[in-house]
Amino acid sequence: MEVVGIFENLETAGHAVKDLIRAHVQEEDITSLTAVPYPEGVLVHEKDTRSHLQWFALGGGIAGALTGFGLAAGTAWLYPLFTGDKPIVSLFPVGIITYEFTMLFAILGTVFGMFIEMGLPGFLFRVQAPEVTEGMVGISVLCATADERGRIRELLLKAGATRVRTGGVRK
Amino acid sequence: MNQAESDNAAYHWGMVIDLDRCTGCGACVVACQAENNVPTVGETLCSQGREMQWIRIERYWEGQYPEVRARFIPLLCQHCDNAPCEPVCPVYASYHTSEGLNGQVYNRCVGTRYCANNCPFSARVFNFFEPEWPEPLNNQLSPDLTVRSKGVMEKCTFCIQRIRRGKEDAKLEGRPVRDEDIVPACAQTCAPGAIVFGNMADPESRAFRLARSKRRFRLLEDLGTEPSVIYLKGGGREDD
Amino acid sequence: MTERQESKQSVKEMNAAMLSSMEAPSRGWLVLAAALGAVVGWGAYAWGLQLVNGLGVAGINRPVMWGFYIINFVFWVGMSHSGTMVSAILRLTNANWRRPILRGAEAMTVFTITVAAMFPLIHLGRSWKLHYFIPFPNTLGLWPNFRSPLLWDIMAINTYIIGSSLFLYLGMLPDLAVVRDRKQGLAKTIYSILAMGWRGTAREWRVYHKASTLMAALIIPVAVSVHSIVSWDFAMTLVPGWHSTIFAPYFVIGAIFSGIAAVVTLILILRRAFQLEEFLTPGHMDNMGKVLLVVSLLWSYFYFAEVLTTWYGHKPIEWAVFTFTGDAYGFLLGLMVVGNTCITIPALCFRRVRRSGPAMLFISIFVNIGMFTERFLIVVPPLAHRNVPFMWGTYAPTWVELSITAAAFAGFGLLYVLFSRFMPIVAISDVHEGEALRSHHRLGRRTVSTMTEEG
Repeated sequence: MEVVGIFENLETAGHAVKDLIRAHVQEEDITSLTAVPYPEGVLVHEKDTRSHLQWFALGGGIAGALTGFGLAAGTAWLYPLFTGDKPIVSLFPVGIITYEFTMLFAILGTVFGMFIEMGLPGFLFRVQAPEVTEGMVGISVLCATADERGRIRELLLKAGATRVRTGGVRK
Repeated sequence: MNQAESDNAAYHWGMVIDLDRCTGCGACVVACQAENNVPTVGETLCSQGREMQWIRIERYWEGQYPEVRARFIPLLCQHCDNAPCEPVCPVYASYHTSEGLNGQVYNRCVGTRYCANNCPFSARVFNFFEPEWPEPLNNQLSPDLTVRSKGVMEKCTFCIQRIRRGKEDAKLEGRPVRDEDIVPACAQTCAPGAIVFGNMADPESRAFRLARSKRRFRLLEDLGTEPSVIYLKGGGREDD
Repeated sequence: MTERQESKQSVKEMNAAMLSSMEAPSRGWLVLAAALGAVVGWGAYAWGLQLVNGLGVAGINRPVMWGFYIINFVFWVGMSHSGTMVSAILRLTNANWRRPILRGAEAMTVFTITVAAMFPLIHLGRSWKLHYFIPFPNTLGLWPNFRSPLLWDIMAINTYIIGSSLFLYLGMLPDLAVVRDRKQGLAKTIYSILAMGWRGTAREWRVYHKASTLMAALIIPVAVSVHSIVSWDFAMTLVPGWHSTIFAPYFVIGAIFSGIAAVVTLILILRRAFQLEEFLTPGHMDNMGKVLLVVSLLWSYFYFAEVLTTWYGHKPIEWAVFTFTGDAYGFLLGLMVVGNTCITIPALCFRRVRRSGPAMLFISIFVNIGMFTERFLIVVPPLAHRNVPFMWGTYAPTWVELSITAAAFAGFGLLYVLFSRFMPIVAISDVHEGEALRSHHRLGRRTVSTMTEEG
């Protein structure tokens, strides 16, 4: 279950996070919903900030290189036709096609990896807070039980949340 | 010789054109047009430069009046060994055959016209419109080769249908193709006998022997396209 | 840096201002869209006529087998280099003034490359055989010829269209969420799907930033390769005047040149049309003007180097092309040099010119006229005067080619007009981010604004 408190500004939201931690809420259960990115630690500290995006890009690139090479060299070799005294598997053209496919697949890999790492697309079971895109700051807390949900709700309201939204069944 | 041909290829088709014999009469142009189903485009389009000759007589004037002289060069596809038109075709409509010909696959052609741009001899012609043969011209169409449609590039094939026929006849009789068995339409119709076609892989062929002449040259040789058409220098007395 | 008023607006008001183009369409918008649609329709009619009758209805003829379609292709591919490349470079170098420009530029890339991709198709003698280009297993066992520069072209443009569309979409993701939260009903559902459930969590933002940076780094080499390959369509041939080693970098610079000029034109139009003066300020014009000046200098340098070698070497056939260009297309040659060099370089040296809307509009449009002319002069004269003098000729477009060219401009306009109606035309989140990181300090007697930056 998820509880999202909506705050007017960054300062109250920051204090609310402090209060939550003081009340023994696990920091990794807290995240912020904001209209703009803030540097790490302005609102919350992410525990695991490792990213594997570059590996997605690299993996895509390698797959693309193989595809491109296979296409350019392989198809020429499958049905060898001579043109203008160029070798059947010509170095430069194969290199160019390999390059283009490497880049294409690297880009696709990056976008794919981005969505995987973001956990998107995610339409259901998440609390949507339309106030956030209008400049409010949301503090989202994950909780296991209904009791805890009530407790956190109280904590958020006490810290100055103008509104609290609850819902979701995400773990 | 091209990579496409092994060292002991039996045939490498070539042509020798003796410019000393060429009178610029244009019979070859007409013969080619008739033999190869090359469309006539009519007066208007012709005046726009859309005529579709596979072989053309280029006429150059030399000197100042009254000491003026006309020079003729019959120019057709040179069937280059390192043809610039071939690798630029994105769909293999233009490719190199194992007998040294520049193949042109009409059905495959999509009409990028890249080959025509890259042909230094401007030997390729394009079907800008759907070709028409008004009655009774349609009766003279040759059944041996296709009629091309609009949007397709075409050019001299060294009368590929005659080469095929010659090779088939020889095969039936169980012998190799004899020299001058195969004669393209232009060579057949050339009254002064300026055009000689033959197998350049055969040192005994007439074309091969003529090609060893001191007068031999090839067009735009500095480009390194290795044309299969060899010209013999003409010009007569003032060059002696 | 910007001349924004000091009083900080609420985020909601700023959103409303930046999304003003998505309000209910005005009559002017409808009239414009209809007019552009009509021109596109006329172009489609001309193309239909060409498909039915054959390419002879165009002015293309032996020896000039490539004409306005290829000129347009090169021109539109060139324009597409603005957006993605400029925004990628500005993102990577963290230039803060980039923020309001990004979206307009990236969208321009996607639409110009779409228009560009139409031209090879229109140009084909048998457009309906397009599938011959696509490598797919077939009963003939035939594949396309990857040794042909045209195939490189197709692959590069394919990569660029997909890459730049994703780049545009990626940048729009948080903004689509903004739109989603402002819409109701069916529109909300559509934008919800497009926004993929974006909420702006700390994790989303972190990954988003990393992905944007990575994408920017990946898209720049693609952009360079695309126009290099377009240049190789020419440089790989034996045609005198085309067969030149300088072509690839020269084309890339030319592409960036016309692209940046197009971005400037577009920004000036957008800010007028949608009252975005507050976000797209003279400060932006000033910066873009400096970039344009540098690229203009580079272009002129490349052109000079290219012409100098031809002139000094004086190879007969290249010289023939050279003199023919001067004789037959002297006016166009002059137009190009004036538009790209003689006006642009001196004018852009002045801060007052760079900050003046009308002056920048004039210069940026003139640059693109010059660049279109440049493409004409690259494509046509070398083809007209090739190795065999007997087959020398000239070329002029017919109404068919001109109609299709007009339709290309209208089609681009139409795509853009539709985009600005349905998608956020200003990079809202980027602008907010800039605002959030900006703070005002008192320094002596005045207040200055500073940007917070992470090391």
